[in-house]
Amino acid sequence: MTEIDFKWPDESAESLRAARGRLAVASERLALRSFEDRVQAVARVVAAWSAPDSPWRRELAERLAETSPFHRDTIAEGLDSALRAWDPTRFIECARREIEQTCQEGRVALSPYASTSVLAGGSIPMPTLLSGLLPLVLGSPVLLRETSNDAVTPELLARSLAHCDADLAQCFESVRFEVEDAAAMTEFLASPCVVATGSDETIAAIRSKLSPDQRFVAYGHRFSIAVLGPGLASNDSRFDEAMRGLALDIARWDQLGCLSPVDVYLVEVSIPDAQRIADGIANALEELSTRMPRGSHPADLLATHATERLEGRMRAAVADTAVCREGADFTVLLETDARARPAPLTRLLHIYRADDEDALARLLSPLARHLSNVAIGGFDSEDENRVAGLMARLGASRVCAPGRLQTPPIDWPHDGMPVFSPMARFVQWD
Amino acid sequence: MRSRARDLEVVTSRAALEDELLSWMANGDWSRTPDRFERLALALFRIQYATCDPYARLCRSIDHTPDSVEKASEIPAVPTGAFKEFALRGFGEDQTILTFRTSGTSMDRRGELHLDRLELYEASLLASLRHALLCRPAGGPPIDRMRFLASSPDESSDSSLSHMFGTLREAEGGTDCGFDLRGDRIDFTSLLEAVRRAQDANAPMLIAGTAFAFVHFLDEADASGWQLPTGSRIMETGGFKGKSRAVARDDLHAQLAARFAIPEASVLNQYGMTELGSQFYDSTLVDPTGPRRKLAPPWTRVRFIDPTTSLDVATGERGLILIQDLANTGSIASIQTADIGHAVLDAHGEMIGFDVQGRAEGAEARGCSIATDIMLEASRTQAR
Repeated sequence: MTEIDFKWPDESAESLRAARGRLAVASERLALRSFEDRVQAVARVVAAWSAPDSPWRRELAERLAETSPFHRDTIAEGLDSALRAWDPTRFIECARREIEQTCQEGRVALSPYASTSVLAGGSIPMPTLLSGLLPLVLGSPVLLRETSNDAVTPELLARSLAHCDADLAQCFESVRFEVEDAAAMTEFLASPCVVATGSDETIAAIRSKLSPDQRFVAYGHRFSIAVLGPGLASNDSRFDEAMRGLALDIARWDQLGCLSPVDVYLVEVSIPDAQRIADGIANALEELSTRMPRGSHPADLLATHATERLEGRMRAAVADTAVCREGADFTVLLETDARARPAPLTRLLHIYRADDEDALARLLSPLARHLSNVAIGGFDSEDENRVAGLMARLGASRVCAPGRLQTPPIDWPHDGMPVFSPMARFVQWD
Repeated sequence: MRSRARDLEVVTSRAALEDELLSWMANGDWSRTPDRFERLALALFRIQYATCDPYARLCRSIDHTPDSVEKASEIPAVPTGAFKEFALRGFGEDQTILTFRTSGTSMDRRGELHLDRLELYEASLLASLRHALLCRPAGGPPIDRMRFLASSPDESSDSSLSHMFGTLREAEGGTDCGFDLRGDRIDFTSLLEAVRRAQDANAPMLIAGTAFAFVHFLDEADASGWQLPTGSRIMETGGFKGKSRAVARDDLHAQLAARFAIPEASVLNQYGMTELGSQFYDSTLVDPTGPRRKLAPPWTRVRFIDPTTSLDVATGERGLILIQDLANTGSIASIQTADIGHAVLDAHGEMIGFDVQGRAEGAEARGCSIATDIMLEASRTQAR
């Protein structure tokens, strides 16, 4: 007998309505729990993922190795380093700080949204995990759309919720539908609170589909950088540590995350020292090529890397001061001028020199709108504070040491926003 | 060990090489002759290595010089982006008679192709146009009515596309030819009048232009009245990068065929770029029963490169398109594009053309990091 796979045209929208119905029932139990109770419950889930021997993290690493383009060892290292930095205590303190202080004296209270729709983006698991958890703390059930690249993380998040707290698990629904499915998208975006991660274009498209009374929390596509000062080259141990750290920042998730540095800016660094830095990062990336090889990414993604590499090779051949260091899975380019160049990701780094901090500010100001995290090293403490202040003014949401770009604490203000409160709604009893 | 390049005594000067290429282009035989290509490619490499310093430096940096290169496939390629950063010419700046510039959609600098003579450049483009676009069945009328949805060469003297259309008009056009793009607007009146004259004369015509101009045409032109006489052709070229609207190429061809009432096989895409002297047309008129694919003139060679290893991919697999174009005598003949494509094979596994998939796109696959030239676009937007 022939088996026919028949799909109703509005099947996805119907599934979404069913999921929303289940969430409506489950949210009644969630609303009965206190804020503190919900914080503690979600923090237990965070702890389950961040524990040194977390079975969830291990299973996620194993399954992503089968389904994602990243190399198995890169996934394992990326998950371990990022999730072990998630401190449940810090999570609880952050929630209390942001929410309880608003609700002081009992005259202001959380007024949970009936549901929060989370449109996950990209292929890196941490944002999906966190954005699936935050609304639960606020008492709002979650409808999360899987990304086309990662169906594993939402499934494991659901199971970890069920393992830690059955009621919480009832308030989380992972859904799958094509973005072209207009009926499903309309149903999905019907929640009073919508959270999305995506490009400027994606964000604008979603915003256009929402009504003014809907809360919209958008995380845009960003890039991160490193800024290194003249002091680095004079201290061998600091130099080696910074080179290894930056290489790790670049290699993690094959530079595809918004916390991945795409450029290094050198301030008041001589040409010989700049060349030494280029060599140092390249040597460290070479070591990582064995320990954390680049994944098998689509040809079109690697093609942009190959093209930029070849252009960099030619620039280095023509200009004595330029450097092109290539490995099997990375390229490091020290440029002779600071004109912005394509960032093809997949472990290609541009290094630019700036004469001073003013020049650095001029170089970065056109890009500031998209700046995320900045690693700073090689300055004395006074200069470091000044450079950090400059980065903050430009819009960076975090400044850290080289090697820590990809491991932000759980209370990092993503895109400069508080962690919980953008998704929260309050009511005042006056 | 003596290199093969050093053994080449037949062609040692650019003029002699161009003479042989001109006779090759003129004879109309598109069968491939690998030995001839190898001989001329190696000779041209030696000339370009000797006359273009940035290229010579690149070759030396990877130790691929005329002393070591033995096969055309070993000749170093320059990326198209290098035409934005270096004057890649084998003659003095004062000998430049024409410079074509890229549209500059991805960086502030525009790529430049400098020419010191035009005979070979124009012979190459005309040979391909005649072979793939203006070919006609035995007894069919010639196509000498031509309308161009592009700026005229007078209006855009640095546009290689405008120059191509101007050259085509001069060589093959009759009295009823013209450019119907004024600024960035289509002159529907002049275009429609030309179409009506062709209809009245029942004479086939060619309408050629940029893909985006044709999208504008479809959006803005009246729905009817555009039926072209039998034997007419449409040729579109270019992409949609930086434009407000993109249309899948298959959809564009179907819509154009419907609007002009001609077979889809008579709607051809041209794959070309400013940096190249030769172009690649769809095969649908030359080989109506075969798969639609790009045809490579015999004085070109198209290869597909693994972006990680820079080695040729397995036959038929997708890879970065690398083009060796012997018509590029004054600049660099071996060019690595930023496009992905694959060879189209016949039943015996022989390459009979190629297909272009386009450039790297699709932000979601990248993760959340801002990618490629999105950052540059942001930078430019801010700077305005």
